[in-house]
Amino acid sequence: MSVRHAVLGLLAQRPRHGYELRAAFQALVGGEKNWDVKPAQIYTTLARLEQGGLVVEDGVEQDAGPEKRIFALTPPGRQALQEWFANGIEPEHQHDEFFLKLMIGLVSGVADPYRLIHTQRMHLYQELHDLTEQRGQADPGRELANILLFDKAIMHVEADIRWLDMIEARLDDIRRQPLPEPDTKPRGRPKKIWGLPG
Amino acid sequence: MSLIQADKLTKVYGTGDTAVVALDHVDLTVNPGEFVAVMGPSGCGKSTLLHLLGGLDRPSEGNVSIDGQPLAKMPDNALTQLRRRKIGFVFQFFNLIPILSSVENASLPLLLDGANSAQTKQKATEWLTKVGLEHRLASRPDQLSAGQQQRVAIARALITDPVLVLADEPTGNLDTKSADEIAALLKQVAKTWGRAVLMVTHDPRIAAYADRIVFLKDGKVVNETHLANGGDGAKQPAGQESSQTLAVSM
Repeated sequence: MSVRHAVLGLLAQRPRHGYELRAAFQALVGGEKNWDVKPAQIYTTLARLEQGGLVVEDGVEQDAGPEKRIFALTPPGRQALQEWFANGIEPEHQHDEFFLKLMIGLVSGVADPYRLIHTQRMHLYQELHDLTEQRGQADPGRELANILLFDKAIMHVEADIRWLDMIEARLDDIRRQPLPEPDTKPRGRPKKIWGLPG
Repeated sequence: MSLIQADKLTKVYGTGDTAVVALDHVDLTVNPGEFVAVMGPSGCGKSTLLHLLGGLDRPSEGNVSIDGQPLAKMPDNALTQLRRRKIGFVFQFFNLIPILSSVENASLPLLLDGANSAQTKQKATEWLTKVGLEHRLASRPDQLSAGQQQRVAIARALITDPVLVLADEPTGNLDTKSADEIAALLKQVAKTWGRAVLMVTHDPRIAAYADRIVFLKDGKVVNETHLANGGDGAKQPAGQESSQTLAVSM
């Protein structure tokens, strides 16, 4: 996915070899702690891009160690990069464990859903507080990548808190509904029921 | 000693069948240097609480002490004086005087209290500099951004050297970035300048700057949470979690 486009973009800046690409990537995202890309991933990505004709070898650098192949962007590579820039990115919707906990709480009847919301809310406020503290300590002059990611994380936690408020406001309505049950499909061969008109 | 000590604070508007309980036996203490956020849905009693704590209104039942002084039996003129000298107010719509410069706006509380004008001007300049407006001293409100106007209002709130700052939705009229800057500034008011700060907000992101959040619902405190500082070490901005691993940092 996006590592491939990052490689194309970094090659649009200038031709580089794999080792340089990885270093440039890590510097840009604010370090491995934010987004760790292993060298192997860079090399496989380069190999695939080369196969697809999006990058091409542009000389070899030979210093003390083994020789390093330098890659450059081809016109189709530039085209692929432009397409990436031209289109929106699908947001990542991950499975939400709290959602699952709430539903299991409702069907099992062993947890008070208001309590579940409360516990989660306190947890999220603490998380939001910690993120805000760290965001405040990040140096805007040097840590742009971290600040952008902290902002994103903060906004996401904020959205989760608002979502909890909404669940809480709707909880009584939700509880009046029958709980979702699987469609009951008879297992095995359908039994013939005698006595019913065909 | 607590700076705010509120016991069983109750406010009922109206009487008989039409009586509305805006605040229902609320206990609250706030210490010097503490930054407390009060949250809750509209009509939960947040503003009523702020008015009672600021001596702008009197409770139907219960007591408030500010800096050791019980407000209950205080005559109106003493209450006005306490409000003017011990409490700074910050509002959602800044409440600046349009024809006055930043320095003049920030000076108002001291001038109203009969202070010497040269000293007041110097003090206003100092506080405006501390809140980051040294380059906008002569600007009128309409020449300032919303965030800058709120900074002037904060300088105005601090000029009397109050022990307590009460802020009513201070970021409610600001864009996201200015809102965060103002929240950070209010935190500084508590942490660096040692004032107690009580802020009413409905914005979780802004409340998260505080040391403690008090949740109000239907006039009652339904929950109170202390936000621990640096308890579990630095967390990562969990921005990306696809196939990449999120290494845990120190």
